[in-house]
Amino acid sequence: MRVNPNPLPDLLAALDQTQQQINTDLAQISSGQSVSVPSDDPAAAAELVQNAAQTSAADQFLRSIGSIQGELQNADSTLNSVTTALQTAISLGVEGATGTLNDSDRAAIATEVQGIQSQVLSLANLSYQGTYVFAGTATQTAPYVLDPTSPSGVTYVGNSNTNSVTLGNQFSLQTNLPGSELFSASGTDVFQALQDLITGLQSGDTTSISAAVGEVTSTANYLDTQRVFYGNAENQLNAQQTYLNSDTTQLAQQQNTLGAADLPAVISSLTTAETAHQATLEAVAGVTQDNLFSYLKQ
Amino acid sequence: MSSLNASLATALSGLSAEQGALAATTNNVANANTPGYSREVPVLVSSDPIVVDPLTLGTGVTLQSIESIRDPILESSIQQESQTQGQLNAQVAALQQTQTNFVTSTSDIGTEITNFFNNINQLATSPSDLSVRQGVLTAADNLATSFNTTANSLSQQQTSLDQSVVETVGQINQLTGQIAQLNGQVSDLENAGENAGSFVDQRQQAIDQLSSLVDVSVIPSNNTLTLTTANGTPLVLGQQSFNLQTQLNADGLHDVYAQGVDITSSITSGQLGGTLQVRDQQIPALQTQLDTLATGLANSVNGVQTAGYDLNGELGTNFFNPPPASGTGAAASLSVAITDPSLIAASSDGTSGSNGNAEAMYALNTQPVIAGQTPTDYYSGVVFNVGNDVSNATAEQTASSQVLAQLNDQRASVSGVSLDEEAANMVQYQNAYAASAQVITAINNMMYDVIQMTTLTG
Repeated sequence: MRVNPNPLPDLLAALDQTQQQINTDLAQISSGQSVSVPSDDPAAAAELVQNAAQTSAADQFLRSIGSIQGELQNADSTLNSVTTALQTAISLGVEGATGTLNDSDRAAIATEVQGIQSQVLSLANLSYQGTYVFAGTATQTAPYVLDPTSPSGVTYVGNSNTNSVTLGNQFSLQTNLPGSELFSASGTDVFQALQDLITGLQSGDTTSISAAVGEVTSTANYLDTQRVFYGNAENQLNAQQTYLNSDTTQLAQQQNTLGAADLPAVISSLTTAETAHQATLEAVAGVTQDNLFSYLKQ
Repeated sequence: MSSLNASLATALSGLSAEQGALAATTNNVANANTPGYSREVPVLVSSDPIVVDPLTLGTGVTLQSIESIRDPILESSIQQESQTQGQLNAQVAALQQTQTNFVTSTSDIGTEITNFFNNINQLATSPSDLSVRQGVLTAADNLATSFNTTANSLSQQQTSLDQSVVETVGQINQLTGQIAQLNGQVSDLENAGENAGSFVDQRQQAIDQLSSLVDVSVIPSNNTLTLTTANGTPLVLGQQSFNLQTQLNADGLHDVYAQGVDITSSITSGQLGGTLQVRDQQIPALQTQLDTLATGLANSVNGVQTAGYDLNGELGTNFFNPPPASGTGAAASLSVAITDPSLIAASSDGTSGSNGNAEAMYALNTQPVIAGQTPTDYYSGVVFNVGNDVSNATAEQTASSQVLAQLNDQRASVSGVSLDEEAANMVQYQNAYAASAQVITAINNMMYDVIQMTTLTG
């Protein structure tokens, strides 16, 4: 049976193949990637696209959470200051309701309460990074303006709309409480209460002073209950941060599994290919140059 | 009773036959490395005997012919496989270039889509912040640019494949011309009853080369060949070759014509077939997918944008320039329509602090707005398809080259020149020649004896 008398083309083709394998392995080792173009592993490449998108989105959620935490903390500590101010007003009111004071004493106390009223007004008009925090969504304008025609002395010019922000898959959080739900809610208006206290102190009528003190107390209590919103939000944000951090860790592991070169395996493949290549080179060199012509004596 | 002269003639026939056989061996050895050469074998036949009562005497040997040893079925298989190999080589090379557009980087389409939505999420936390708004516009510009760049790169590749089509048609025409000429040379010899040996080899080589370029069907007939494409378009008819032409079509690409008929879509194999397939089917399909993605994104973002309010309390105007109604070219022309960051409609209630519309815009990221899929899902599908096409074609290419290598091996074992074999044959013919020469010497001596015999009596 006749065989192919010229094995060289086959050997050269084999050399090509081993060289190809060597090149592929070297590329993987130097890049650390097993998937550098989609054809390396199309399914993994597609999953890696998803993985990258999810990781990037999670990083963004963490950044957004950071922004919102700052805002919320600011708002909450401001409300704390308001509550403290209201407590001071209450003490002043209690003092002013005692029968032993005279009119000028009460007038002095009234002035102090006016000072607290101004303070609360400016706290309610808190501006954070250029926007008014307690204005609902009308954040370009200070929500409480002085209004002599208003019984409480101020008018709320903000709105009652709220914002939510998406901070995770199917997770979004309300990020603001409008002033109309804090300081000037129906039935519990801080400014009205303070104004009533001032009016009462100025009139000297201990009954109305006590009544006003009661008003201020109930607005302070209302504010405290509303502040729960901020505590809740903070807790949810912390929980979401923890979740996102573990999510990004998992995504990083998944990315590794999908696309990172399995170095021990690749190095082993490279060694095998190099050995085969070397052997083939020696075979090519050794392919006998002799044929029968060399041996014939003429 | 035979005559010395008859024996002399017989011995002489031996000399010339062995000489002729040696010529075949010499030709084989000279062509040991000629690609496509089929080894020649002398056909030695005993000459017709004569009857000289009561004896039948042989008259020596005739070198009847010198045959080329080739297996036509193998040749045909090799030619078929060359077509497949040519097609796959062209496809793999082109698609490998195509897929570089879809490698994850800092600016590929997938990354830019995610960046865009990230910036919208940031906008939702600070809807009236001008620098955040500018960030959204910058991200949108980058997104549009990544679409433009990818679409342009695909168009450019189409153009260079188009040039390759024109060049390949030129090469095809050259080869069919050669084959027609060789047909003439072959039939001249074979019609005269001769072995057209090396012309047939050359013609087969040319046919193999042609097969790697285009699908070829070979129909042998009386000492000649007809070549057509797979669907019957004539390429070579006897000594006449038929040129293919290229003509620009409405898309600015070249179609292939034969005798005035557009045969572009019927070329399925060979390098031309592979190139046409990538140029006319695979790249356009990819462009359509990109156009779908660009159109879907632009239209859905515009839909949300125009339903909300900008920083000035006005109803939003288009965010992206509206893509063409047919969708074609949407990716290449995608661009952002606004340059003033205050025009982004983040607000859902008309106030500057509302983020409701920004939230609605962010939600597009997870809604099935692109042919029933989210933008990222759709894009990852595109990446998969491109990678899969390359990977499949590469696997087929490897398989095909292994088959071709085997076939070539088999062909070489039938038709390849073995120097050992030729050396052995040479020795054989040499010995036979020497023996015949010795016989002639002996006959010569005997003739001398006869002559001497006659002179002695004189």
